[in-house]
Amino acid sequence: MTLPSRIADTFSQLTRRAFLGRTVGAAALASLLGETASGTEPHFKPTAKRVIYLFQSGAPSQLDLFDHKPKLKDLFAKELPDSIRRGQRLTGMTATQESFPVAPSKYKFQQRGKSGAWISDLLPRTAIVADDLCFIKSVHTEAINHDPAITFAQTGAQLAGRPSLGAWIAYGLGSEAKDLPAFVVLLSQGSGNPADQPLYDRLWGSGFLPSRYQGVKFRSQGDPVLYLTNPDGVSTTSQRRLLDDLAELNALKQADVGDPEIATRTAQYEMAFRMQASVPALTDLSKEPASTFELYGEDARKPGTFAANCLLARRLAERDVRFIQLYHRGWDQHTNLPKQIEAQCRDTDRASAALITDLKQRGLLKDTLVVWGGEFGRTVYCQGRLTAEDYGRDHHPRCFTVWLAGGGIKPGITHGETDDFGYNVVRDPVDIHDLNATILHCLGIDHLKLTHKYQGRYFRLTDVHGRVVKDVLA
Amino acid sequence: MRTRFLLPVVAGFTLALAGTGQAEPVRFNRDVLPILADNCFACHGPDSAKRKAGLRLDREADARKAVGTEGASELIRRITSADPEERMPPKGSGRELTKGQTETLRQWIAEGAKWEKHWAFVPPVRPEPPGVANAAWVRTPIDRFILARLEQAGLKPSPETDRATLIRRMSFDLTGLPPTPAEVDAFVADTSPDAVERLADRLLASPRFGERMAWRWMEAARYADTNGYQTDAGRDMWRWRDWVIEAYNRNLPFDQFTIEQLAGDLLPGATLDQRIATGFNRNHRGNAEGGVVPEEYAVEYVADRVETTSTVWLGLTLGCARCHDHKFDPFSQREFYQLFAYFNNVPESGHAVKYGNSPPFIKAPTPEQARRLERLTDDVATLERTLSARRNEEDDAQARWEKTVKPAELPDWSPDRGLLTYLPMKLSDQLNVRDGKPTLRPGKIGMGLDLDGRRFAEHSTVGDFGFYDRFSIALWVRPRSLSGALVSRMVEEPRGEGYGIHLVNGKVQVHLTKRWLDDALRVETVEPLKTDQWRHITVTYDGARLAAGVKIYIDGIEAKTNVLFDELNQTFQSKEPFRIGSGGGPTTRFNGLIDEVRIYGRTLDANEACVLAVAESPAQIIAKPTANRTTAEADKLRAFFIAKAAPAEIHDAHEVVYAAREARRKFAESIPTVMVMEEMPKPRETHVLVRGQYDRPGPKVTAAGPATLPNTPTGGNRLDLARWLVSSDNPLTARVAVNRIWQLHFGTGLVATGEDFGTQGTFPSHPEMLDWVATEFVRTGWDVKRMHKLIVTSAGYRQSSRIPKDAPASDPNNRLLSRFPRNRLSAEMIRDQALLASGLLVENQGGPSVKPYQPAGLWDELSGVGDYVPDTGDKLYRRSSYTYWKRTAPPPGLSTFDATARETCWVRETRTNTPLQALTLLNDVTYVEAARKLAERVLHERSTIDERLTLAFQRITARVPTAAELGVLHRALERQLTDLRSDPAATRKSLKVGESAIDSRLDPVELAAYAAVCRLILNLDEAVTKE
Repeated sequence: MTLPSRIADTFSQLTRRAFLGRTVGAAALASLLGETASGTEPHFKPTAKRVIYLFQSGAPSQLDLFDHKPKLKDLFAKELPDSIRRGQRLTGMTATQESFPVAPSKYKFQQRGKSGAWISDLLPRTAIVADDLCFIKSVHTEAINHDPAITFAQTGAQLAGRPSLGAWIAYGLGSEAKDLPAFVVLLSQGSGNPADQPLYDRLWGSGFLPSRYQGVKFRSQGDPVLYLTNPDGVSTTSQRRLLDDLAELNALKQADVGDPEIATRTAQYEMAFRMQASVPALTDLSKEPASTFELYGEDARKPGTFAANCLLARRLAERDVRFIQLYHRGWDQHTNLPKQIEAQCRDTDRASAALITDLKQRGLLKDTLVVWGGEFGRTVYCQGRLTAEDYGRDHHPRCFTVWLAGGGIKPGITHGETDDFGYNVVRDPVDIHDLNATILHCLGIDHLKLTHKYQGRYFRLTDVHGRVVKDVLA
Repeated sequence: MRTRFLLPVVAGFTLALAGTGQAEPVRFNRDVLPILADNCFACHGPDSAKRKAGLRLDREADARKAVGTEGASELIRRITSADPEERMPPKGSGRELTKGQTETLRQWIAEGAKWEKHWAFVPPVRPEPPGVANAAWVRTPIDRFILARLEQAGLKPSPETDRATLIRRMSFDLTGLPPTPAEVDAFVADTSPDAVERLADRLLASPRFGERMAWRWMEAARYADTNGYQTDAGRDMWRWRDWVIEAYNRNLPFDQFTIEQLAGDLLPGATLDQRIATGFNRNHRGNAEGGVVPEEYAVEYVADRVETTSTVWLGLTLGCARCHDHKFDPFSQREFYQLFAYFNNVPESGHAVKYGNSPPFIKAPTPEQARRLERLTDDVATLERTLSARRNEEDDAQARWEKTVKPAELPDWSPDRGLLTYLPMKLSDQLNVRDGKPTLRPGKIGMGLDLDGRRFAEHSTVGDFGFYDRFSIALWVRPRSLSGALVSRMVEEPRGEGYGIHLVNGKVQVHLTKRWLDDALRVETVEPLKTDQWRHITVTYDGARLAAGVKIYIDGIEAKTNVLFDELNQTFQSKEPFRIGSGGGPTTRFNGLIDEVRIYGRTLDANEACVLAVAESPAQIIAKPTANRTTAEADKLRAFFIAKAAPAEIHDAHEVVYAAREARRKFAESIPTVMVMEEMPKPRETHVLVRGQYDRPGPKVTAAGPATLPNTPTGGNRLDLARWLVSSDNPLTARVAVNRIWQLHFGTGLVATGEDFGTQGTFPSHPEMLDWVATEFVRTGWDVKRMHKLIVTSAGYRQSSRIPKDAPASDPNNRLLSRFPRNRLSAEMIRDQALLASGLLVENQGGPSVKPYQPAGLWDELSGVGDYVPDTGDKLYRRSSYTYWKRTAPPPGLSTFDATARETCWVRETRTNTPLQALTLLNDVTYVEAARKLAERVLHERSTIDERLTLAFQRITARVPTAAELGVLHRALERQLTDLRSDPAATRKSLKVGESAIDSRLDPVELAAYAAVCRLILNLDEAVTKE
C-alpha cells in the first residue's frame, strides 16, 4: 500500500466517523478533504516503514564512545583554549569553575569494519556491526539542561506542549498494526547512575494533537499496558461476555439515538479486548529460542532491562508497530564518568548491536530505521576532580554523536566532524530539527507538510527549521 | 478528533450552503478574512520582517489596489494564474486555494469588496434578538438567535428532551455529578412551569458547582501540585485552587474574579484572599534543574504569564509575537514585550526551588488555621505576660537560693535543651584522631583538642542533619592560622557534599552543600577572628533551606553576615562522619585549639547562644558580687537557676511558656504557603528580546497594552491592565469568557477555537448571539451563575440529543444546534460519577491534594527517586478536583480520558475515544470497586431482581432501562450467578478489589454477580456520555 493512500485513509476514516449514518453529499465530503488534506499529504515513497529509537537519556559522552580525539592525550589537564570555547555559555554547574582542564578519554579507540569507523573499546559489540551504522558526529542542540534538551529532541521544542515525534508519525501515518498501538514506549533504568535523569510523559505525549496519538507505555512491572489485565476473579470468558452484552446494549442505544460514536466506542472495546491477548503474547519471551538470548545476552530475560526492551522492539517491529521508542536512563556522568559509563555500556552495547543483527537476519533492517543517541553531548573539560583514571563531564550542546541504521540510511559512513577538542562542529552540522526531518523523510513524510493547526498556527515537528540530511540517505 | 476536524467542517458547511443555491452575500469577516489570513498573511500580513513585495493584505488601505474591482483585480489574476511564477500562494508555501475559496474571493470583489475590521477587535454592540417564525419555541432571548439561524437554513430544532435526560445533563453541566434517582423522580414529577429554573437554582447553589467549574479553570491556569520540570517535585498551590472553588461558589463577579487573580496584590488594602488569588500567574512551571541558566527561565515564566493571560482573557495567541511580529493578527513583537513588562516585576529567580514553593510566596492559613494561630499567639502572649509579672518573685527566689547554695556542689552547666552531643574533649568522647596522634592541651575549659593543620578527629554517628532539620552547633576555638575547617559532616573533598563550619581568612563561614557551584548555601561573618584568642562560635539553622535561616553568633552575639550563596535546592545530608578540624580534605585542616563542642537538635535562640559563650560556671558566677557580673553571666546564672535549681512553680512556668512557643511555632510551620504575585519596588527593565531569546536584548520598552485594541493602558501596573481587561473598552474578555461558558455546556464554543479569536480563529457560528450574551454578561454585572442559568433554561439547551434519521446534511457537525450535542463526559466526571453512584464519594471541600488509586511504579519507572504512594481511606474517594497532579506523570485514569497535563494553558474541551479508555473503565480498581459498592447498594435498597437491576441502571443513566435492556442485564446476571456459584475462588477474589470493606451481610455469589452487572453498566456508552 502506498503512503499517500494510507494517509488519506486514516484521514477519511476519522472524518467519516462524524458522518456515518448521515446522508452527506459527496461534494461536501470532497470539499472537506480538499480543505484539509494538504497538511498531511506525503510526497514520496518511504524507505522505512517503522522506527526504533534507542534514546540514551542523560546524554552519553561522545568523547568516550565515538568521537575519537587522539591529540587530547598530550593536553591532559591543560586549560581548554578560549579559542575553542569562544565564550559559549556553560551550565550553572560549571560556569563558575575556576578552570576548564581538558580530560582526554581514558579509553582506547580502534577503527572498525571495512568502513573504519572509530569506536572505543567500551562498545565491542557495536564495533562488530559498525559497517551497518551511519555515525553523525555533528549533531548539536539548543538546550543545555536535560529537561529542555530531551523535550526538544523528542518534540522539537524545549518547552512542554508540543506533540512528540512518535505522535506526529502516528498522526501522519496511522497504524499498520491491527491489535497494537501505532506508537509504543519502553523504559529502562541504567546501572550507571540510578537516579538520573527523570523522564516525562510529555516525551511521548500528543501535545495539542488528539490523545489517541500519544505513545503507549509497555511496562515491565504490573500490567504491560496500564489496566490491561482483567480484574481479579474475572476470566477471559467472563470478560468476553461482558463485551458482548455491552455491544448489545450499546447497539440498542445507537438504534435509539443514532450516534455513530457509539459504534466507535464498541469498536474500541473490541480493540481493547484484542490487546488483552496481543500484548501478553508480544511480551511473552518464553518461546524465543536460546539463540535469541545468546545474541541479546541473558539480560534480555529480565523484564525492564535495555536488552529485554531491544528484544521487545524487534518483536514490535515484526508486528508492524510504527514507532517504537526506547529510553535508557543513566548517562548523566558529571563525576565518576568511567565507572558509570562502563556500567551503561554493559547495559546497552550488546543489545543495541544484537538488535541490528537480529533485524538484519530477519530482513527487517531494510525497512526499519534505527536511531541511537541522547539529548546532548558532554564537555571535553573536566567537571570536578581530574585524574588520568577518573573525571567527569558536564552537559555539552555544541556537538554529539548519533548513529542511524537501516531503512534508507547509508551504512558504514560517518557524517560531520568536530574540532580537535570534540567541542565545536567544523563540518556538516546537523541540528535536532535536521535529524527529525531526516527521520520523517525516511518514512516518506515531508517535514514541511506534516502540520497541525492550533492556536491559529500550522505547527510542525521541526517548527520553522529542519533540513533533511541528504548525505546520509542511501 | 473534534480538535482536528472541526475547522474544516465549519468551512465545509459554509461552502455546502453556498453550493445549495442559497444566495447569501459574502461576508468579509466570516468568509474572506479567514482565506486571506490563512493563505496570504504569512508574506503579506502584519509581520514587517517577512513581508514580500511591500504588499499588505491585512489592512484595507494597503490592500485596495491589489484587490481592485470585478474584472480588474490583480489579486484574482494572481490566484488564478496558470504561470507558476505568478501564481499565488506560491509553490512551496504549503498553501493552496480551493476552488471554493477562489470563488468566494471573486464573489466578494463582485459584491464590492467590502472591508470590515476583524470582528473580534470591535467591541460588541448588543443586537436586538431577531424575530422568528416559531415564536412559541422561544424560552430565552438566546433561543431567538438559535432559531433564527435554523429557520434561515431551513432547519427545525429538536423536540425537548425527556426530564430524566435533562436533569442528568444539567447536573453534570453545573455540578459535575449525576443526579440521584430521588432527584430524578422529583424533577420528573414536578409539573410546575418553572421546574427547570428551580432545578438550575438548586444546582447553582450547590457547593459542587465551584468544584465543577474549578476543573476547567485549573486547566486554563495550568494548576498542578508539582513544579513541572525534571525532578518535578511538589509545590503547594492548593490554597489558590480552593480560592477558585470558593470564588465560583460565592458567585464572585467575573470582573472581580479577573482583577483579583491578575492583580489582587495591588488592590488597596489587599486581603489575604486577594493575594492568594494572584497564584493564578504563579501556577506556571518552575525549573529547578541543576545548572539551569536562571536568566533563561526568568524569561520563560514571564512569557508564560503573557501567553496564558492573553489566551484566557483575550482569546489571543500573543505568544506568536514573541520572536517576531504576529503573522496573522495586528500585534507587533514590540507589543508582546510591552505586555511582558506588566508581568516582569516579580521578585523571583529563574532558578526555581526544587522542593516546594519558590519565592515570592506567603503563608496562607485557612480561616480555621488563622483562628487557631491567633489563639496560639494569644496563649504565648498571655503566658509571657504572666511570666514577666513574676520577675520580682524570681529575683527574690534566686537571691534566696544564692545565699543558701554551696557553690562547690554545683555542676558546670550550659543550655541543654535539645542537646544531642557534648564533646568536652576528653578520652570518653569516642573521637578517633586521624592523620596524627591524639593531642590534648589545656583548653578553654579543662582540656581542648590541639590540631596542627594535619590531624583531625572523627565521630562516626553524631551530627547527622539534612536540609529540613533544625540544628545548632557550638564550640570554642583558638586558631593558630586563620583558615581551616572547624567542624563538618561532608565528603572529604574541597567543596564536598555535606555541611561544615569553616574559618576562611579569619571569617567564619557556614557551608551547606549539595553540589558546589550551583546547589549550596554559604554565609560568612563580616568581621574576621584573630589568631591565638579563644572565641566562642554558635551556628544555628532553622531548616528553612535559606541563608536567612542561618545565624552565626560570635562570643554570644549575633554576627553580621554576608550571604555568599543562597541556592540550596537539595538536602546536604551525607553519610560521612562528624569531623573536628577537617572538612573538605587535607588541604583545609584546622590549626589551633578546639574545645567544648555541642550539637543540638534544635535552633537555639539568642539568649541561649549568649549563655553558651560564658565559660564561667554557675559556681564561679555566684562567687562574683552581683554588681561585678556581666549581663551574660547574670543571664547564664538565671538560666541555670530556672533550669536546675528554682522551685517547681518557677521552673514549670518557664516550661509552659516554652511549650506554648513551640506549639505556636510548629503550628505556624504547618500552615500552607502559596506562591503569589508581588511587585518589586523598582520595576525590572524590559527589553524586546531579539528572536525571543533571553540573551539577546533589543530596545527597551515600557508596559502598555496592544494598540490595535481600543483604549489599552499605557504604563501603569498589572492592576491597570486587569482593569482594562474587564472594561467596556475591551472587545474580547466578555466574548471569550461567555464563549467558554457556552463550551462547558455544548462541548464547542460559539467560536470553536476558544483559544484563538484572531483572524486565524473560526468565525462564530452565531455572531449576533455571541455579542448579545457577551453584552448581557457585562450588563448583569459579570454574573457567572446567571449566565449558566440563562443557557441551561433555554429551549436550545433543552433539546433532545437524538440524531434524527433525516439529520441535516448541510450541518453535519451540528454547529447550528438543531439538537443538543451528544458528548462524552469529561475525565473527572466519569470518575466522580462512579464514586457518587456507588456511595463511595467523600465530599469534603478543599484541603491538600489527595492521592487516589494509581498503578504501582508509574513515578518510579520515570525517575527512580520514589514512587507514588496512594492514600488510604477517605482520601481515595474525594472528587477528582482534589487529585494530586504531577505534571510529568499525570494520573493515568484521568489523562487517558483527555484531562490535560497542566503543563501549559488549555482552554478547549477535548474528547477522544480510544481502547485505553475501554481498558481503564473495564479494569481500573476505581471502577471495579465502584461496581461492587453499587451492587451492595442496590441489594440493600431493593428486593427483586428487576428492581435491583433497574436501580443500578438508574444510578448511572438516570433513566429506567427498556424491556430489551433489562433483558440483557437479566441474562448477564443469571450467567454470572451460574458461573460464580461453581467458582468460589473467583468470587472471593473479585470481591477483594479495592480497599473498602466487603459487606459480609450479603451472599458473596450474589454480590459478585451484581457487581459484574454493575461493571457492565459503568462501561455503557451512555454511562460516559452526556445526552
